Amino acid sequence: MSEIIEVDNVTFGYDGRPVLKDLTFQVAAGTFLAISGPNGAGKTTLLNLLCGVLRPDSGSVRIDRVDIHSYSIRELARTIAVVRQEFVPVFEFTVTEVVLMARTPYLSTFGFESATDRELAAKALEITDVARFADRPLSQLSGGERQRVFIARAFAQDTGILLLDEPTSFLDMKHQVGIYDLLKKMQLEQGKTIVTVTHDINLAAQYSDHALLLAGPQAGCRWHIGKTRDIFTPGRIEEVFGVRTFTGRLGREKFFLPLGEYAKDADVLSSAARTDPQD
Amino acid sequence: MIEGLTPKKLLIRIAAGLAVLAAVMCVCALLGTEKISLLKVLDGPGDVAAGNTDYAIFVGVRLPRVVLAALVGAALACCGVVLQAILRNPLADPYILGISSGAGLGVVVAIVCGMNWTFWGVSPISVLAFAGAVATVWLVWFIGHLTGKSQVTSLLLAGVVVNAFFSSVIMFLVSVAASEQLRSTTLWLMGNITEKSPAVLGFGAVSILVGILALFTVAQRLNILTFGPHQAAALGVDPARTRLIVFGLSAFITAVAVSLSGLIGFVGLIVPHGVRLVFGPDHRQLLPLSAIIGATFLVMADTLARTIIAPEQLPVGVVTAMAGGPFFLVLLARYTRKVSWLQ
Repeated sequence: MSEIIEVDNVTFGYDGRPVLKDLTFQVAAGTFLAISGPNGAGKTTLLNLLCGVLRPDSGSVRIDRVDIHSYSIRELARTIAVVRQEFVPVFEFTVTEVVLMARTPYLSTFGFESATDRELAAKALEITDVARFADRPLSQLSGGERQRVFIARAFAQDTGILLLDEPTSFLDMKHQVGIYDLLKKMQLEQGKTIVTVTHDINLAAQYSDHALLLAGPQAGCRWHIGKTRDIFTPGRIEEVFGVRTFTGRLGREKFFLPLGEYAKDADVLSSAARTDPQD
Repeated sequence: MIEGLTPKKLLIRIAAGLAVLAAVMCVCALLGTEKISLLKVLDGPGDVAAGNTDYAIFVGVRLPRVVLAALVGAALACCGVVLQAILRNPLADPYILGISSGAGLGVVVAIVCGMNWTFWGVSPISVLAFAGAVATVWLVWFIGHLTGKSQVTSLLLAGVVVNAFFSSVIMFLVSVAASEQLRSTTLWLMGNITEKSPAVLGFGAVSILVGILALFTVAQRLNILTFGPHQAAALGVDPARTRLIVFGLSAFITAVAVSLSGLIGFVGLIVPHGVRLVFGPDHRQLLPLSAIIGATFLVMADTLARTIIAPEQLPVGVVTAMAGGPFFLVLLARYTRKVSWLQ
């Protein structure tokens, strides 16, 4: 399998304080990578480096073997789609208008969408289950509905790589699972490469092939990458996030339930009943 | 299949808008102190000896003035549209950003210094207005970028500060100016549309129309830019480049408009809002329709200004705010669901 994203020795910091240090990893085409870590660990910063918004202080990011900063903005937009955390735009664009904007990198000077463009947008509206809001302005939707609109837009952009920044943070359980199913389906059926920043390690454990765990500047910018199953272990979760979790095993995958001092079942962790499934 | 804005739909709407504008311009050109009739105007110039007074007034006096009002209205409305888009702030317009007062300062300096001569039909007043507008845009851009990260907010802040500063310099110059210069300066500051020579009008028309057409080529990118620079870049739109194009073009258009007509507020702020409320925020449609409706609005405002206390004339800036304000409130109440207490 060929490496479509190559992060090579990347160091990046704000005002001289490094957030990411000597980060090196590859993402193979058609795989699903989950990036996780505590707040301030540099997950969104990394996402911004991966889509070319930020330039590394040293090291390089290559997409398809070419340095990301030698792509034109338009070429890059045909290669990588980005879904950012939820926000409300200033003006009242409708859902359809927003999803049609995905076709921008394919338009000619005067910028009118073709029938093909509208077809792709319609399909994206359909599969993300937002077609019924098609004519409503974004400001009249709930946070979760808006998030799905932006995911629809990323699909309509028709790129090989999809970067997502906490795509399920505002969604109810049904739509959380819905989005991950959708991403997985895109990966399996269309061979898309999916990279998502997430706090939900349980969903990541169920859906992602690989995981990147960033420990953050407080922990010396350490990082761990590998198969999700190998990265998400009770010991490492406790070490990186600084929280004790109850770890159980479903079928093939583990799940992690964080339990604080005052949690009703906190005693489960202190007693001998603490489960430590073997890896 | 989903509906979208197609070139055909847009052209139909633009054609309808232009028809309304033409009708309004025609009616407004017939109104005035001197009563003239459309039928007599249609008779043509007649033979040279006798002449057709109605035709002479219509073509020689009224029409140039109506055309000027239309051009300035279209220019200011378009600049409002694009500045609101790049600054992602519905309060932006050439007036608030200081571009108008920069041009104004240029003109006041020219008047106070007594530069009343013309050279090949070009007066130093227009030249200084133009220089003032361009210099202000550069200054606002420079200050905005000095302050770094959140460029949008700092651009707007820089504009507001520069506007306030230039306005006070204008006030200072006006208060120390000789009294006979005072009236024309004050009129000009309140927005003053007067008859202009065909050459000046032609230059204004070409520059403004070319400027608007150039803005239209980035209209679709402006839609994306209202989502912020990061989203724009992710969708293949270069935010810095688009912002620079728009800022430069709107400075140019504003400079031309202000040098033709003085400081006319309100059009650039209100017209885009009104059009956006009714037709939605898609800039490919918002820009041309705002141009047409801005033109219509200023033609009507100027007609009101020259007829309401005829034979005296009001500065058109007074009328735009007094007529535009209530009209805008009605639009706001009609199209905004949040304002339920007005219904």
